[in-house]
Amino acid sequence: MSESALEAKAVSITFGGLRAVAEVSFTVPHGSLTALIGPNGAGKTTFFNLVTNLFPPDSGEIMFYGSSLRGRSPAEIAGMGLLRTFQTARVFPGMTALENVLVGAYKETKAGPLQQMLWLPAALREERRLTERATALLDLVGLSVYRDVAATSLPIGAQKLVEVCRAVMARPRLLLLDEPAAGLNDAETAELAALLRAVRDSGITILVVEHNMSLVMDVADQVVVLDLGKLLARGTPREIQGDRRVIEAYLGVEEETA
Amino acid sequence: MYHAAQIIIGGLVQGSVFAIIALGLSLVHRVTGVINLAQGGFCIISALLLYSLEVSYGWPVPLAFIAAVVGTTIFGVALGAATFVPALSRLGNSSMLMLSAGLLTFIGGLALVIWGSQPYAVPPFSGEQPVTILGVRIPSQGIWIAGTAVIIIAGAWFLMAKTSLGKALTACAENPTAARFMGVDVQRLTLFSFGLTAMIGAIGGAVVAPIMSLQFDAGGFFTNSGFVAVAIGGMNSFPGAIAGGLFLGVAEQLAAGYVSSLFANALALGLLLVTLLWRPQGLFFAGRQRRHDVREDQRVYKSIIRFRGRGAMIWALLGLAVLIALPYMVGSGLLSSLVITGILFIAVIGLDVLMGYGGQVSLGQGGFMAIGGYTAAVLATTYGWSPLVGVIAGIVVSLICAMLLSVVTMRLRGAYLALATLTFGLLIDSLTVGLTDITGGPSGLVGIPSFSIGPYVFASQMSVYYLVLGIIVVLLVAFFGALRSSFGRALQAIRADQTAAAALGINVPRHKMAAFSIAAALASLSGSLYAFDFHFLAPEMVSTSRSFEMIAMLVVGGEATLVGGLSGAALITLLPTIFQPFAAYKTLAEGAILVLAFQYMPDGILGSLARLLQRKRTAPKLPAATLAKGEAR
Repeated sequence: MSESALEAKAVSITFGGLRAVAEVSFTVPHGSLTALIGPNGAGKTTFFNLVTNLFPPDSGEIMFYGSSLRGRSPAEIAGMGLLRTFQTARVFPGMTALENVLVGAYKETKAGPLQQMLWLPAALREERRLTERATALLDLVGLSVYRDVAATSLPIGAQKLVEVCRAVMARPRLLLLDEPAAGLNDAETAELAALLRAVRDSGITILVVEHNMSLVMDVADQVVVLDLGKLLARGTPREIQGDRRVIEAYLGVEEETA
Repeated sequence: MYHAAQIIIGGLVQGSVFAIIALGLSLVHRVTGVINLAQGGFCIISALLLYSLEVSYGWPVPLAFIAAVVGTTIFGVALGAATFVPALSRLGNSSMLMLSAGLLTFIGGLALVIWGSQPYAVPPFSGEQPVTILGVRIPSQGIWIAGTAVIIIAGAWFLMAKTSLGKALTACAENPTAARFMGVDVQRLTLFSFGLTAMIGAIGGAVVAPIMSLQFDAGGFFTNSGFVAVAIGGMNSFPGAIAGGLFLGVAEQLAAGYVSSLFANALALGLLLVTLLWRPQGLFFAGRQRRHDVREDQRVYKSIIRFRGRGAMIWALLGLAVLIALPYMVGSGLLSSLVITGILFIAVIGLDVLMGYGGQVSLGQGGFMAIGGYTAAVLATTYGWSPLVGVIAGIVVSLICAMLLSVVTMRLRGAYLALATLTFGLLIDSLTVGLTDITGGPSGLVGIPSFSIGPYVFASQMSVYYLVLGIIVVLLVAFFGALRSSFGRALQAIRADQTAAAALGINVPRHKMAAFSIAAALASLSGSLYAFDFHFLAPEMVSTSRSFEMIAMLVVGGEATLVGGLSGAALITLLPTIFQPFAAYKTLAEGAILVLAFQYMPDGILGSLARLLQRKRTAPKLPAATLAKGEAR
């Protein structure tokens, strides 16, 4: 059994009278690409916020590579190698696409401002190396042509891809992506799928909240289904597609959705 | 006891004026979220108009008073319609603050052109004879001032609380977008409130005219006092503005009566810094908390200017060659101006790191120039230290002050940060004028030696020119190195989105502190070099108006480019030299340039030029290309 990157142990939180997340337990195996799905209001984004401690769970515990995340600040959690993106694109205005991605490499940059001021060869080499890696990432999503364009002048879909690249650039151990495909057109979604596969193959574990079923079924190793705050099912995409409860609760009965 | 009562009465009279101006500031702030620094300008225009009509043309007082107020209000409405109101929909709050600083400079410049730089006095409305009430003698003009204040306050309260117009104004303040959907004409109401403040300021200026010496630049005094009062009292509350004004007036008069007038000024500004640190919403009345993120970060970046690759290198070397050859091609008068351009550009580089890259507005850079200038000059002149050591000492003192100030500024953002730095600059202004024993006071410090390194003395303008050029080249190479790499990217990320930057592991406070320190150190260096170059240093050379001027240089030249500020510095410094007869128009032009640059040229000269050049080898067309790819699949 492989090590688990993230382990939720009976996590619950209540807002007012609403149990937004109730006794949810599941694991995200190291190196996997796990998708978290469920109808609107199922508690997916709330779960993300619990993981990054935007607010703490009422009960239960979340373990990240064996250590508890309880009581840690969002910045601390980022420092441990757990990074998230947001539902709405948040690229940095006033910077090019390439620079946006490069910001992700901030933590691993070794050269300090003083070395950069002196144009020391080590600093220049590092900058060149990071630029190459960032360009390669942008290339993976077909955006390397636009690397020197203002990030905010890109279409929304491309901005979201840039944001994912930025997070990947930081080399997290676990990447949480909140609806990365929302607002993407078909071509961009295909680029995203390729990026997600490449990222997983590079050894970064991914947990993604996504509504786009064909993307989920295409790339996920494991699918976790939430409904009304409760864990409904978990399994491979094939298992989930065949699961009657999931079809009823989430995909809905044919007549209803039509 | 009698003495104290006398002082307190005087304080209440003074405070009434502050309260009137504070009320105007509060009104515009409530409706637009902007602190309109131009407010004090209307006071001085109205007061000077009153002087001309009453004293020069011999109009009767009531007629002259009404004409001055009406004239100033019309001027205010026209100015607001041309600048403030249209800019409001495009600029964020801190840019609007600087635009209003530009308006204040513009109004001061206009007064300079019309009335010249000499002071004027207006006789009291009802004679010199003081009124005696309960054994306390009150100057008759004091009664006029207090009475006017009561009427204005009552009128403003009635307008806001009892009329539907007041409700509409409040709606604009709460949520401009929703107000627009509810059929409120936000633009017209904004203009209305701007005109109303101009009128309130005009009345205040006219009624206070007899008890002060009127000079073209007194608008700054009015704005500062009103602004300190409203910030202490509470930005969004009328009672707060009134209480703040009266409190400030009494506190200043007491401090001036029992200690010294220098102390009075420092006390007011110190009080404001403490207020900003402790209760930024105001000491007395918090009022409603405004959602002050409503209009933050509105700036749109159409394209981004980056200097990279061989082309940029060739341009840089070409530019350097021209700058090296330049002293042999110009006369000595122009050479001195070029030296000053370079010295100011050093401070502007620091401001660009802080403001252009870091997104933090500082209206207090003149303060750091003063600290550096006076520290170096005093050490070299009075104590005979070597100028180089003096410069370094100045930088150290500036850095210490920057650290202390950052205790306040670290917790503030946007317009509040700008205000805290403005307060710091004003505090230093009052110290440079007031500490006469050390700084020489208003008449300045004379006999400052030339800059020297070891035995070499930079005596000729030519040698100072190459010294400054050398410093600039070193600074530019160093900062280009840092700003094109992770340091610069971290700063820009913080400017754009603090939360997202922190989520990527960027230490936000440390970077802000670094940018602030860099700006302070370079302003300090610039101030010292300025003193050594001029052999003379006076407060107005390194005052708050210099802070505004440097912002104008940066904005006109182009932010976040490092070199852009040079074109701005050159424009503002060289134009008056080249067109000597127009020197009197310098302040006017500076204000106009600042306002116009904010409104019509957000990228500055360099940015606009670079965009013209870039257009030829355009970047790939975006959405179309992406779409085409999508269809191909």
